[in-house]
Amino acid sequence: MKIVHIADTHLGFQSFSRMDEKGRNLMEECIYRDFRRAIDRIIELKPDAVVHAGDVFHHVRPRIRPLCIFKQSLERLSSAGIPVIIISGNHDAPKSYSALSPFYLYDGMEDVYIAHRYRYERFEVGDHIFHCIPFCFSQEDYIEEFRKIEMRGSDVLVMHGLVEALRDQSMKPVGEHIVSDSFLKSDFSYIALGHYHDQRRIAHNTWYSGSIEYFNFNEAPQRKGALMVDLSTGGVESIAVPNIGMRVVELDCSGRTAEEILELIEEECGGDKDKIVRIDLRRVNRAAYRRMDQRRLSRLASSMFCLKIKPEYDETARAEEMKPPERLDLEFVRFLEGEMDKIPNAIRQDVMSYGTELIRKVIERRGTEGMDASQ
Amino acid sequence: MVKSMPGNAYRILAKDVRSYEFVIPYDEKADVGEIFTVEDRDMLFLARVVNVQHDSNYDGRWDTSIRGTELYDEEQIFNRVIAEPLGCIPRDQTKRRGAFRKAKTIPTKFSRVKRAEAEEFDFLKDTMGDIEVGVLRNGSRDTDVAVALHSSAMDHHMGIFATTGMGKSNFMKVFAASCMKLASENRSEFGLLIVDPHGEYLRGGKAGKGLLHLKPYLSSLKCYSTDPRNHSLPEVSELTISRRDILPEDIKVLHDWTGAQMDALESIERIFDGESWIDEILDENGKAMLTEKAKVSEKTVDVLVRKLENILSRNKYIKSSGSSSIPGIIEGVKSGKVVLIDIPNLSESSELFLLSLISRRIMEDYRNEDEGRKKCMVVIEEAQRVLGSDSRIARFEEIAREGRKFGVGLCAITQQPKLIDRELLSQFNTMVVMGLADRNDRMRVEESAKQDLSSLDVEIQTLEKGEAIISTLNVPFPIPAKIHRYEDYMERLRPSAPERRSFRPTPD
Repeated sequence: MKIVHIADTHLGFQSFSRMDEKGRNLMEECIYRDFRRAIDRIIELKPDAVVHAGDVFHHVRPRIRPLCIFKQSLERLSSAGIPVIIISGNHDAPKSYSALSPFYLYDGMEDVYIAHRYRYERFEVGDHIFHCIPFCFSQEDYIEEFRKIEMRGSDVLVMHGLVEALRDQSMKPVGEHIVSDSFLKSDFSYIALGHYHDQRRIAHNTWYSGSIEYFNFNEAPQRKGALMVDLSTGGVESIAVPNIGMRVVELDCSGRTAEEILELIEEECGGDKDKIVRIDLRRVNRAAYRRMDQRRLSRLASSMFCLKIKPEYDETARAEEMKPPERLDLEFVRFLEGEMDKIPNAIRQDVMSYGTELIRKVIERRGTEGMDASQ
Repeated sequence: MVKSMPGNAYRILAKDVRSYEFVIPYDEKADVGEIFTVEDRDMLFLARVVNVQHDSNYDGRWDTSIRGTELYDEEQIFNRVIAEPLGCIPRDQTKRRGAFRKAKTIPTKFSRVKRAEAEEFDFLKDTMGDIEVGVLRNGSRDTDVAVALHSSAMDHHMGIFATTGMGKSNFMKVFAASCMKLASENRSEFGLLIVDPHGEYLRGGKAGKGLLHLKPYLSSLKCYSTDPRNHSLPEVSELTISRRDILPEDIKVLHDWTGAQMDALESIERIFDGESWIDEILDENGKAMLTEKAKVSEKTVDVLVRKLENILSRNKYIKSSGSSSIPGIIEGVKSGKVVLIDIPNLSESSELFLLSLISRRIMEDYRNEDEGRKKCMVVIEEAQRVLGSDSRIARFEEIAREGRKFGVGLCAITQQPKLIDRELLSQFNTMVVMGLADRNDRMRVEESAKQDLSSLDVEIQTLEKGEAIISTLNVPFPIPAKIHRYEDYMERLRPSAPERRSFRPTPD
């Protein structure tokens, strides 16, 4: 039996403030587009089942559009005769029993099996049993739900959470739970995990499929896509799925002028018109950075999906730049000394200290400003 | 009949700042280890019985005879109690008490002596730590004063000394349970690593309970087991060690290697890649490389490879590919959990191999600075095997000597402290003595303890199962304790367990 393992589609996610011609968030639209492409690819591959290991939606209360897009995709898979097994994740499971899960909308759909009721559920699909533990309210609940599993010899476990070995990479999102090492039993034919967005093997039979899409710059080095798993052999193959693509580029700017830096940025971004790119300017001279032609930079940014510039100033140059404030202080004091007869005695000292403090603050503020080319 | 003072009190008679003596009626009992108080106007002295003797006025003692029948019966025979001063507590007229301190003087002669009551041990509550292990024992009576070790002292190493059947395993389960409780309450200061070669901590023995039964705190326990019967449990991971985790030095403890084989093992690190050396040496090319580059004879290489193959076939938990439990074990310890490695039916050499390998990895990790991680304590059963005068294993010696710098402590359990290297034993700042019959064992412990245990020699000999003398930092004197019975302690912990969330989704 062959299955395709996907996870973390986060339908409804918005970012980067870029709109399409209809005023819709461009990132969100790209996520829908790439999700549909992923479904196309899965239908081409003709697996015996698809497993979605959680976080179908980005929100607990998704808007109508992601709900509809997901429904259409389920119908397409169903029409192709491909059963779908889904669990809820920390993003799309309500954190209180008073709210209704969005997955209730898909109850009763043919060949769609969804575990979202905060408890263990098992589905027999093909020649395997799919043991599904969806998002539960507390960490302790998982042990009790896991205890309900009865192995039949051909078993797949589906869970959503961060394995202990990756705990130090947690971004600490709301509702994140830990998947205990002790759940990763070698008796399972396969363990399909969701939550961690990088495609990664955790044990010989345990994988994170990774998300299909990139969601923030921390994910730029990650591998994305889906996994094709042969449950009879244990073989796992990475399936590339089209996505937006995200790049973080580091440019060494030490000794470079504003013009040179700008040329470097344009050169780097030349082939990335449809991508999300962040340029990290290392050791950039503060004055050179400020002199960069903003209109030219804005034109470049507007031609791309998203361009962010992150300067990291040259500390030695900065130390030099910090000297003038001291001279400014002195200049201000000298100026005041010349004007003393115009200032009442009672407030002379206050004017002196307030003025020098104000100048110091202004100069400090200069050292912390950044620039976002996309805004 | 003997007359007692009002309130069943006696009177101090002798003798000096290091020993008090008083008499009790010949038909009354005082136990070795029992604590008496001596009331002396603005001071309350505490003294612990170290001996009880038959005595009478016919021995020409003026201080008992001068009081005549005020205290004693007509036949003028009695029991003389010899007690060791523990310290004193200053009191003002309202009986408000000051801080406990060592007594630098003696109580006034004929001061009232009484059996200490529970409230007179209140001062001890302030000196106790956070890892509860039992209650204060007053002679044969248990008080309700909890005895608790200090987490902060645990990287200063701890020794558990007891002969078989005195309750070592029970102590360790109680200790681990308290650590799990602290971790569940986010108060843990260190992670505890226990390698259990007898398989008694996980599920308990034949009649007892194990750590798995401590349900409220299971989130603070990580279990790894080589026993397939445990693998289906949701709390237990199958122990796997990757070949790539192992260095040639790790397998030295797995066999009695000859000098030539040891030389060959040492040369492996120079010749092969650090991680894949096992796979390489099992290959014909690897064997040839070892022969050529390290000038090791073919015969030695063949024997080495054959032994290595034997080791791998005997230790099924060593896998050629796939994941390793080591990162999870280290992560568990660093996050302050109790990590239990259950290896029943493994050989002694395999146990030492695992302990040695994991300890190496822990020390490697702890040598790097990491502000967020907790300290670590590694438990070693039958510690004389690795910390002995003649049988030291460098890795454990290293932890004993310099582990404290990096926040790694040892908990050495042994029946024969006399076999532990004297210098290493002196590094242990907490000692839990649970009955030692051998005089040499007692002497070794007494001379290494940070508190004077010499006067407790008789008491240590007469300790019963579950009783202990605990010498540790921060407490004013060696504490006589009754260690909780694990099963009873579990019950006690249950009500105070963190409440599970009461709400649940309504059934569909």
